[in-house]
Amino acid sequence: MTTVNLQLQQVQERTAETMEEMWVNMGPQHPSTHGVLRLLIKLDGEIIHECIPYMGYMHRCHEKIGENRAYVQIIPYTDRLDYLASMYMNWAYCLCCERLMEIRIPERAEYLRVIIGELQRIASHLIWLGTFGLDLGNFTLFMWCFREREMILDLFEAVSGQRLNYSFMRIGGLALDVPEGWLADVKSFLAWLKPRFVEYDRISTDNVIWQKRIQGVGILKPEDAVSYACSGPVLRGSGFRWDLRRDDPYGIYDRFAFDVPMGTRGDVWDRFWVRRLEMEESVKIVEQALKAIPLGQVLAPVAKKLRAPVGDIYSRVETPRGELGHYLVADGSERPYRYKVRAPTFVNLSALPVMLPGCYIADCVAVLGSIDIVLCEVDR
Amino acid sequence: MTVEEIVQQIQSRFQEQIRTSEVRRGEACLIIKGDKSFEICRFIKEELGYDYLNCLSGVDWITEGEMEVVYNISSLKQPGKITLRARIPRNEPVLRSVVPLWGTANWHEREAFDLFGIRFENHPDLRRILLPEDWIGHPLRKDYQDERFVSYPWQDRKPGGVARPTSA
Amino acid sequence: MVIPLPYSVGASTGAVEGLYSMSKAWGIPWIVPRLAIMFAVVSIIIGFISVAAMFLIWWERKISAHIQSRFGPMRVGGWHGWAQSLADGVKLLLKEDIIPARADRPIFILAPMVVFASSLAAYVVIPFGPGLIVQDLNIGILYIIAISSLAVVGIIMAGWSSNNKYAALGALRSAAQAVSYEVPLVVALLSPLLIVGSLSMTKIVEAQYVPFIVVQPLAFLIYFTCAVAETNRLPFDIPEAESELVAGFHVEYSGMRFAIFFLAEYANMFVVCAIATTVFLGGWKGPLLPPVAWFLIKTFFLLFVMMWLRWTLSRVRVDQLMNVAWKVLLPLAFVNLGVTGLVMLFYPAG
Repeated sequence: MTTVNLQLQQVQERTAETMEEMWVNMGPQHPSTHGVLRLLIKLDGEIIHECIPYMGYMHRCHEKIGENRAYVQIIPYTDRLDYLASMYMNWAYCLCCERLMEIRIPERAEYLRVIIGELQRIASHLIWLGTFGLDLGNFTLFMWCFREREMILDLFEAVSGQRLNYSFMRIGGLALDVPEGWLADVKSFLAWLKPRFVEYDRISTDNVIWQKRIQGVGILKPEDAVSYACSGPVLRGSGFRWDLRRDDPYGIYDRFAFDVPMGTRGDVWDRFWVRRLEMEESVKIVEQALKAIPLGQVLAPVAKKLRAPVGDIYSRVETPRGELGHYLVADGSERPYRYKVRAPTFVNLSALPVMLPGCYIADCVAVLGSIDIVLCEVDR
Repeated sequence: MTVEEIVQQIQSRFQEQIRTSEVRRGEACLIIKGDKSFEICRFIKEELGYDYLNCLSGVDWITEGEMEVVYNISSLKQPGKITLRARIPRNEPVLRSVVPLWGTANWHEREAFDLFGIRFENHPDLRRILLPEDWIGHPLRKDYQDERFVSYPWQDRKPGGVARPTSA
Repeated sequence: MVIPLPYSVGASTGAVEGLYSMSKAWGIPWIVPRLAIMFAVVSIIIGFISVAAMFLIWWERKISAHIQSRFGPMRVGGWHGWAQSLADGVKLLLKEDIIPARADRPIFILAPMVVFASSLAAYVVIPFGPGLIVQDLNIGILYIIAISSLAVVGIIMAGWSSNNKYAALGALRSAAQAVSYEVPLVVALLSPLLIVGSLSMTKIVEAQYVPFIVVQPLAFLIYFTCAVAETNRLPFDIPEAESELVAGFHVEYSGMRFAIFFLAEYANMFVVCAIATTVFLGGWKGPLLPPVAWFLIKTFFLLFVMMWLRWTLSRVRVDQLMNVAWKVLLPLAFVNLGVTGLVMLFYPAG
C-alpha cells in the first residue's frame, strides 16, 4: 500500500491536474496489459495526454542470480526471461558466452540453431498476432494462431522434452541432436503453415474495421525511435531497414537470403505488417536451412567447468521482439562478475509515453499490443 | 569510419580523460574518468555520428573502490561499436546524465540508480524503476546484505575455485 | 355487452369463449378469466424466451467453436453438450448474491429487471404465425421500438448504482451507442412501412407478396447493422468488452442478476431478428412447412448471421462507432426513404 501511495504522490507532485483531466489507472491486473504492467494515464475526456508506466512487479533478480551461478547454470534462467521465445533467449546467452570464450560450434549445430530459432520466431509472432487480435475483439484469430503455435510446440517438445522453457542450447552447441524424422516434420509443418497466412489475412488485414482501428494510431517518429533505441519491429515500423541478422550477423545468417520488411509511417499498422511479413521471411530461412543442413556433431567439446578469460563483451541478437543484448564482465572464474541483460522490450516500452499522447483510450490497448511486451523480459 | 579512427579521434580530443583504450573484436573500448563523460558522449554522438545507445549498465568494482558506468554505443548508419566505461569513486558515485543526448538513457540510468545507487545529475526523473519505491539498499552492489539472501560471497571465489555458501 | 376477445387464435377461440361463458354462468366477474388467460399467455411467452435464450447460448458456443476449429460443449447431457446452458443456469442460481457495499441497493436490484422487462414486453407483438400473436396492436412496430428503448434506462441504472467509475462510464457509453443507433434503425424501417401503409405487424407480413428484402435491400442492411449495435454485439460491443479499459456497465453484477442481463441480451437479439423477419423476410410466409416453422427458421437464420459476424469481425472504436451511425447510416437511411417515397408517388399501388 505504501508503494502505491508513494507512486501516486510522486506523480501528482510533478504534474498539476487541471479540472478536466483525470488520472486513470490501468493494471497491474488487466486482461490487456500482457502481464503485470501498471499504466497511469492522464485523460482529457477520451484523449490521452500523458502515460506513466510502472513496472517491476515481476522483478526476479535475474542479474544478481547470474553473478552467483556458473555459466552453464544460468541457461535455465534465460528461458524465463522471455518465455514466448525461450529458444532465442538461450541462443543469445550461449552466443555471448561463446564469443567471450572464443568457442567455435559445429556446422550442424549452427544450422539447427537457425531452424529452431526461426521456428521460435514464427511461434512468438503467432502468439503476438493472436493476442493482438484478442485485444481488438477478434477471438477467432486468437484461436487460429494458437492452433499453429501448438504444432510448433509439438515440434519443440519432440526436440527438447519441454513445451515452453526449453533450456535446449548449450555453450558450444545444442544439448541433443534432433530425433529422426524431425526435419521432415518441420518441412510438412511449413507446408501446412503457408496457406494459413492467407486465412489470417482474410480475417484481419483485409477487414475494414481492423484497418480503421490500427492505421494512423500510435505513431513513433523516426528520430524518437533512434533516440529511445527501439529495435525489432518497432524500429522497422518507423522506417529503418535494420535487422541484426543482416546488419550485424551472428551464427550463419549471412548464408541465407531473406528480406527485411519495413514500415514507413511508424503507426500500429506498420508494426503489425512488419511482424506479419517477418513470419513469411522466417519460413523462407527455415526452408533454405533445411536444404543445406549437414550431418555431424551438435556440441563442441568444451570443458565441464567453463571459465571465461578476463574481459567483457557486449553481444546482441535479433529476437522476435528486438535487440537482446548481453553485457558480460568476466573475471577469470567460472561465474560472471557482472551479467547485464539488455531486454528489447524494456527499451521499446520506454517509447510508449511518446507514442500514446494524442490517442484515444481505446487505442491504448492496440498501441501496447503493437510493442509486443513480455513483462518477464522487462523486469527480469 | 573505422574503429581505429574512432579511438584516435577520441584520444586526440580527450587525451587526459582516457585511462586505457584498445580495439578488440571490432569494437573501440575505452576506459575513461567520470568527470567529462557527458562531453565525450556528446562528441561521440554528434561529431562521430554514433547516435544509438544500445545499453547502459553499472558495474561495481569493489576491490578497486570504484563504480563504473558502461555505455555501449553504435549507429544504424555506419559500422563500428564503441564501449565506453566511465569510472567514478565508489563512496560518492555521481555521474552526469546523458538523457539530453539519448532518450533511452532515462530508464537505463534509473535502473543503475535503483540497483547500484549511482546518482545521475540532471536526470529528469531519478527514482527506482524495478524495485518498490520504498526499498532500502542497492542490491547489485557487491556488499549488499539482506537476511533473506543466501549468497556465494564473491570474496571466496578464486579463479579456478568453487565458492561455498556461507550460511546454511 | 360485447366481451372483446383478446386473441384470434383459431382453434382455441372456442375454448376461450367457453371459459367466458362458464364464468358468466357461475357469476364470476369477467376480469378473472381475462387475467387467467393473460397469465397463461405470459407464462408461455416467458417459457419460450427462456428456452430460446438457453438454446441460443448453446448454439452460439457451438458456432463459435466450429469457426475457431474446435468443438465447443461436448459432454454435458451427452449429445454435443446440449444441457450446457441448463448447467450454467443452475450454477448461476446457486451463486452468492453480492451487492457492493456502497451501491445504491434498490436501483441496483431493479436495473436488471428493467432491462429484462423491456425485452420481454416486446414479445407482445411478434407474429409467430397467422393469428399467433399475443396482441395485434395497430401500432405494432412503433410499440416495439418504444419499448426496446427503455432498456437504455435499465443500463444507466445498472452503471450508476454500481458505485464504480468504470461501470458508470461504460453505462453512459452504452446509452450513447443505443440512442445513436435507434435513429437510423427507425428511419430504415420507415421505408418498407411506407409501402405497407400500416404499423401493424400482421398487416406487414400480409402485405409482402415479395419479401421486402428484395425491394428494399439497403433498408435491410441498415436495419441489420443497427440491430447488431442495439443488442451490443460485436463489432459494436464496447459496453461489454473486457479488453477495453472501461469494463462495462455490468461489471459489479454476479450470479443470477448477471444471468438476467445475459438472458435479456439474447431475448433482445431474438426480438430484433424477429422484426427483421417480419418486415423484410416475409414473416411466416412460405410453402409446405407450417407458418410457425418458417418464422422460426428465418429468425434463427438471422441469428446465425449475427453470431457469425461476432466471431469474424473485430471491435469498432467508440468514435468510429458514432461516426458510422451519424455520418453513414443515417444519411443512407434518409436517401433510401426519399427514393422509396418518390417511387411510391409514381407507382401508388406499391
